[in-house]
Amino acid sequence: MKHRFLIVGLLLLFGLSSVWAQTEPPVVDSMVVDSTELFPAAVSDVQVVDKPNDHGHAVIVTWETSADDGGGKNNVLRYEIFYSTSFDGPFDSVGAVPAGTGEFRHIGSKEPLDSAFVPDYTDLFYQIDAVTADPTIRTTSDVLGPVQCSGQWFNTGRIPVLVAVLIFGLLTAFFVLSAKRGKKLYVRPIGGIEAVDDAIGRATEMGRPILYVLGLGSAADVATIASFTILGRVAKRVAEYQTELIVPTYDPIVMSVAQEVVKSSYFDAGRPEDFKEDCVHFVTQSQFAYVAAVNGIMLRELPATCVYMGKFFAESLLLAETGSLAGSIQISGTDEIAQIPFFIVACDYTLIGEELYAASAYLGREPKLLGSLKAQDWAKAAFVALAIVGLLAANFEWFEFTTLFQVID
Amino acid sequence: MRRTTYIVVAGVVLLFGLSWVLHAVSMSGEADGIERAFMITMAAFLTLAIYSFLYKDNPFYKFAEHLYVGVSAAYWMCQAFWSTIVGNLFPRLSEGLSNYFQQPYQASGWNITYWIPVILGIMLLMRLTEKYGWMSRWPLAMIVGTTAGLNFVRYLRSDFVVQVSSTFMPLLGEDPHRWQGFGAFISNLDLSATGQLAAIVSNWVIFFGVICGIIYFYFSKEHSGAFGRASRLGIWILMITFGASFGYTVMGRISLLVGRITFLFRDWLEIIS
Amino acid sequence: MRRQIPFGLVFIFGIFMVFQFFVPHEKSEWVYEFLLDWIIVIGIFALALGIWSLFKVSVEKIKQGKEGGNYSYITLVGLYMMVAFGFTQQTGEGWGLYFLWIMLCSACIVSLMRLRASTDSGKKRMWALASVGFLVAAVLVAIFDDAWAFFLYTPEGLENSMFEIFFDHIMMPILATMFSLLAFYIASAAYRAFRARNVLASLLLLAALLVMSRFNPVIPGAEYVANASNWLMNVPNLAAQRAIVIGIGLGIVGTALKIILGIERGYMGRG
Repeated sequence: MKHRFLIVGLLLLFGLSSVWAQTEPPVVDSMVVDSTELFPAAVSDVQVVDKPNDHGHAVIVTWETSADDGGGKNNVLRYEIFYSTSFDGPFDSVGAVPAGTGEFRHIGSKEPLDSAFVPDYTDLFYQIDAVTADPTIRTTSDVLGPVQCSGQWFNTGRIPVLVAVLIFGLLTAFFVLSAKRGKKLYVRPIGGIEAVDDAIGRATEMGRPILYVLGLGSAADVATIASFTILGRVAKRVAEYQTELIVPTYDPIVMSVAQEVVKSSYFDAGRPEDFKEDCVHFVTQSQFAYVAAVNGIMLRELPATCVYMGKFFAESLLLAETGSLAGSIQISGTDEIAQIPFFIVACDYTLIGEELYAASAYLGREPKLLGSLKAQDWAKAAFVALAIVGLLAANFEWFEFTTLFQVID
Repeated sequence: MRRTTYIVVAGVVLLFGLSWVLHAVSMSGEADGIERAFMITMAAFLTLAIYSFLYKDNPFYKFAEHLYVGVSAAYWMCQAFWSTIVGNLFPRLSEGLSNYFQQPYQASGWNITYWIPVILGIMLLMRLTEKYGWMSRWPLAMIVGTTAGLNFVRYLRSDFVVQVSSTFMPLLGEDPHRWQGFGAFISNLDLSATGQLAAIVSNWVIFFGVICGIIYFYFSKEHSGAFGRASRLGIWILMITFGASFGYTVMGRISLLVGRITFLFRDWLEIIS
Repeated sequence: MRRQIPFGLVFIFGIFMVFQFFVPHEKSEWVYEFLLDWIIVIGIFALALGIWSLFKVSVEKIKQGKEGGNYSYITLVGLYMMVAFGFTQQTGEGWGLYFLWIMLCSACIVSLMRLRASTDSGKKRMWALASVGFLVAAVLVAIFDDAWAFFLYTPEGLENSMFEIFFDHIMMPILATMFSLLAFYIASAAYRAFRARNVLASLLLLAALLVMSRFNPVIPGAEYVANASNWLMNVPNLAAQRAIVIGIGLGIVGTALKIILGIERGYMGRG
């Protein structure tokens, strides 16, 4: 009897253990529990605002990174940002940023037919997913919004530029008016400028032409416009001395303007009948074909003087070296920094950068043109003063001052 | 002299003719072999014609130069016509014009404004007439005004305001090279390019280099005395920079020459593989 | 009045662009984009002026019978051929009489130029007959040859294999060769700098030599040379570039302001 209870008890225990063994989901259940633990914490303190100082169609999303980004489970790999025009979705992915980042700029397209279009003046909703190495393991934030984006009518980030515009404008106006009232404005001698008149005289003595190259710039480039003024001066002297002038051009609009400028100079010199329109002619809008043609002109016409003023690129050295081979006196000026060394080496006189603009103002022979040169010098003086104050500010960490000059686009 | 020129020209033509024949023979198994042989020979001839300019101006260079000018001018004209006028302008001007040129019409309520540049363009062409030449100034005024306004603010921003803030630099170094007293400086004296000495010296050179450079470009005052010395230092720094820029470009230019020599010796003469 | 209106336009457009810079709104941006498009369109019309100038100058050179004027035939024929390729395309497998047509048209152009340049009436008659003959032959070929056709409304011409061949085998080799001439010129320019014995040229040359030597392992102390070269590029170069950039920037700003305000008027001619 005693044994019977013992045997039944053991059988029951065996049976129960078997049933328990079958009903218990040991492996699968434990996995579910573990994966739940792998889900990272959601991001917090999310804010969505319209991007300021833009044309609209853009939103800035900021958030506090997940507790598991750089700490906790440390398993957040990136954040994915989704947006929708409805609170209930569907939400479309608009981008992702790596872990550790707390900001995303959703810059949409302004074209309604573009898939990346983001409408203005429309409620927009955002969600941010903290994503782990396994893209299926992610935690989605609450829906945020609504936010509306729109364009602004004033870019506050460009206030420093506006201040500079106003100051520079006023300085220029002041000096131009001073010059108009007859105040003498001193400009230091610049080698290349003085050389222009001598070079024209030399060409006349030798009975050889003057070659004037306006470069590869368009009529809209300020360097080319400065060059027109210099061309005007050169053409006037050429007309007075009755020397030949050759102006091959790269741009058809530049050709039109140059023809007008040279024609005017011949009128001013009192020799309109000597003006030949074809002395200013178009070559081609292909950079090296233009160089090939100008080089040919140099070696065939053997100009006494070659003047290169305007925008130049890789062709600068090809032109200047050929001019040198032709035995010409060469005067150059460009604002293309990379080409200045070649002109310095191959030409007799080179106007470096701003000197081209100074030469233009100087050779224009009008006092009011020098007004802006004075304003430029004042701006340079202001730059030096600001640089010294800024230097102190940077060393003593006066960030209020240094941030004043930051332009934010 | 003329006779010699003719003989040389005939000789060169014969030589390149022979080159064409030999290439054509070696390419006879390939599709368009004769045409390709001609084009390789032509390219080689034009390459050597341009190089001949290094010796002196000559008929071969003149030929290549004039051909290049004519072909390139027409090339850009065709591209401008088909891509800009037919491809982009006509589809905005009118539906009829778009259909005529078989381009998809790009409907927009503001397409009418594209007639303005067309009118301005025609006004520019008025230059060709004596009576209405003055009209060409209007489109010119529009172009010059637009770009002058654009350049005025753009350059004031990028070349002045932004440069001002870039020049604010700590002369006593930044982390990790910040100045921590003379003792620390001496005990950690390091002449390497990444050391504290180099970092601090570099900041000083940049700051005073910029100031002296700007003084050189100052036009309203005579460059004499201390001002003149600063200006002199400025032009020295400019010259060092120009020299560095010159040296930096040399390698790139030589690689261009290598490219052409490779064409001549590999593609044309087939001497190297 | 004719002179004042353009300056008024310069002022209006210039001031608009200045304001536009500070107004990021879509409407302002829209006008800005329109204006830039307009400039491109006007530029295309200007190209016609340029081609006319090139044509006129080439014809004049031939007419004047100057030395080397005969090379202008090559320019004119090259110009014509490329335009012809840009507006024609083959319609089947072969080219038929296409190249004969190209040659007849070229011969017609040459004859017309000779006609214009001739002073002798007998020669004039001969060239006039020749040009009419070539023209008639070219028209007949164009009418009766079906292997190719004109495409005046659709850009098939840009895919004409001859158009591409001229670009690849004439324009590109000359372009690359012209560019590579710089290798010779840079050497002769360096020699010129070497000969100019003054402080500035010497500084320029020394800096150039230092930077040129930066990849040369044969030089003793190559590592120091490389370091010095890098320092030169990163430090004094940065300072000088900044000074030049500020100068150029202010030069552009000053000139642009003078243009907007109508102080700088040289570019507009006299009127």
